[in-house]
Amino acid sequence: MADQKDLDAFVTQVTRPEDFDDFWERVLAGLAEIPLEPSLSPDPMRSNADVDVSRVHYRSLDGLEISGWYCVPTEGDGPFPAVIRFPGYKGEPGLRRDWGRKEVVILTVAVRGKLGSHADFNPGYPGLLTHGIQGRDTYGYKGVISDCSRGVDFLLSRPEVDPQRIFACGSSQGGGLTLITSALRPEIRGGVAGYPFLCCFPESMRMLRSYPYDELNCYARAYPDLVQEMLETLRYYDAVNFAPGIKYPMVVGIALEDEVCPPETSYAAYQRLTGPKELWLFPDSGHGNAHDYPAKETEWLERQIDLTNPGGAND
Amino acid sequence: MTEHRTDPDAIWNSLDRQLEQIPLDLEQERDAFYSQPDWDVYRLHYTGLDGYRLFCWLSAPVSADGPVPALLRMPDYGSVHDIVYTPLRSVALVMNATHRGQRQSESVFQANYPGLLTQGIERQDTFAMMRVFADALRAVDALLGQTLAEVGPIALTGSGLGGALSLLAAARRPRITAVAADTPLALGHPELLEHDLAYPLAELTDYLRVYPHRKEAILGSTAPLDPVAAAPKVEAPVLLSLGRRDRGLCPLRIGELLAARLPHCDLRVYDGASEGGGHPHSVIREAWLREQLGVG
Repeated sequence: MADQKDLDAFVTQVTRPEDFDDFWERVLAGLAEIPLEPSLSPDPMRSNADVDVSRVHYRSLDGLEISGWYCVPTEGDGPFPAVIRFPGYKGEPGLRRDWGRKEVVILTVAVRGKLGSHADFNPGYPGLLTHGIQGRDTYGYKGVISDCSRGVDFLLSRPEVDPQRIFACGSSQGGGLTLITSALRPEIRGGVAGYPFLCCFPESMRMLRSYPYDELNCYARAYPDLVQEMLETLRYYDAVNFAPGIKYPMVVGIALEDEVCPPETSYAAYQRLTGPKELWLFPDSGHGNAHDYPAKETEWLERQIDLTNPGGAND
Repeated sequence: MTEHRTDPDAIWNSLDRQLEQIPLDLEQERDAFYSQPDWDVYRLHYTGLDGYRLFCWLSAPVSADGPVPALLRMPDYGSVHDIVYTPLRSVALVMNATHRGQRQSESVFQANYPGLLTQGIERQDTFAMMRVFADALRAVDALLGQTLAEVGPIALTGSGLGGALSLLAAARRPRITAVAADTPLALGHPELLEHDLAYPLAELTDYLRVYPHRKEAILGSTAPLDPVAAAPKVEAPVLLSLGRRDRGLCPLRIGELLAARLPHCDLRVYDGASEGGGHPHSVIREAWLREQLGVG
């Protein structure tokens, strides 16, 4: 088990490329050229008295069609605050109807490779973490991150969403994507990153033998001559390099027994946050299974949503 | 209610007779990319009910000699069932089996999440989950049919759907030595619809909201999958974990009924929801599986 001493002692070797910001500005500028083409298909079976549920689609990098679940409260005047949820590495993005009664819109994004978004991109699991890793422009996560950013664009395209009150959350890969997307998109006014993946790649692949990070070791064994190129690519996708760019409140939740995302690496991302931040440590918990985490995530987001209410405490 | 329910044994006997008639037609191909210094990883393909081709990951210790203990991890409720790391790979055969509709077993049918739990639920013979459970039996057959190593004791493990698949497979396959089931999906228990359910079980209540007159059909179609009904036939020791606040996989009351009917059950109840025991239980499970498999 890691403890506070281990967290404090850990120093990552990950450094930020000089052209990091330029690279991502170019990616976002390219995305802006692609028509979003948002569409909604109501799903009566998943809808209930509190929530209208729809399957949504929009266009992202390389023109790929990305899907998601969209839950809109049936009651209330709107425009509503919104939470965008990013998915874990291999799980399917779930439906969150419980926010309907709270008068909050929820979008859960099925990034490329997930069911509903894998017709033209399907590297598999395992597979995604090393797909196209030979270069920063070919890496699969360029598309994955673009899909998250376009999810924000989808919310901004919706008249029922208050553009000043968009929040983000996710666990594991979803935690990493929360950090990354919040840095790229200042429209996200706060977020909760649980057990974040995509942090400190060089150390994570050495500290554990579990997947997904071990995919990088498999790649390194198979292509020893390409390890430096792989590590160079990953510098552009490491959440610790995005963290300083996050200006709004951010929580990082860490399970100290995490056997998938080393706690030290998540803590490194937390340390690099320069905006308002909060740390949650779960001492007797493993990856994704801290009993208190879901309730704390909900409470924190509710508090932030309330603070940004035009008629609320922050007005 | 019970008049619509058919004898689960008769249904499974019939399915097993069908499986016996279908050649396994097993192909095993080493995956050099994912193989490790201490174990080799293989991609296995084999044939299940209706001639459906199924996939699993299988790893074999590099230094296997004589009968090798085996751990078969049944799939969760989701499209991906990947290799999954466990230190047991260096001393045991480790198989991660998929069911039809999951990634790499999706040539004919792709499962939706949510959606799979009620697909074809109107009738038992069209209910997709019946075949999902039959695929779990076929995974045991494939483990016994592979030629990489002679199989010693076999432990089944899984969480949620994987827990239920493990229990039912152990009830039907006496070759199984041990089962570690976490929050097993309580699909098929007659009391289930009386609970306030969360996903994935809430798919049943979604379905009933649209088709309120089909409650009896649901009960009839799901009855053969009831882990509580299958429990007395599980002769292997079972390590069972439950979450006190679980509404999505195995509500506590049904889990306790299940434990009471298992002949050899070590029940652990935790404060969690569908995550069950979380990290503390994963430590217990690892040690218990090692003991059951005789690998220290």
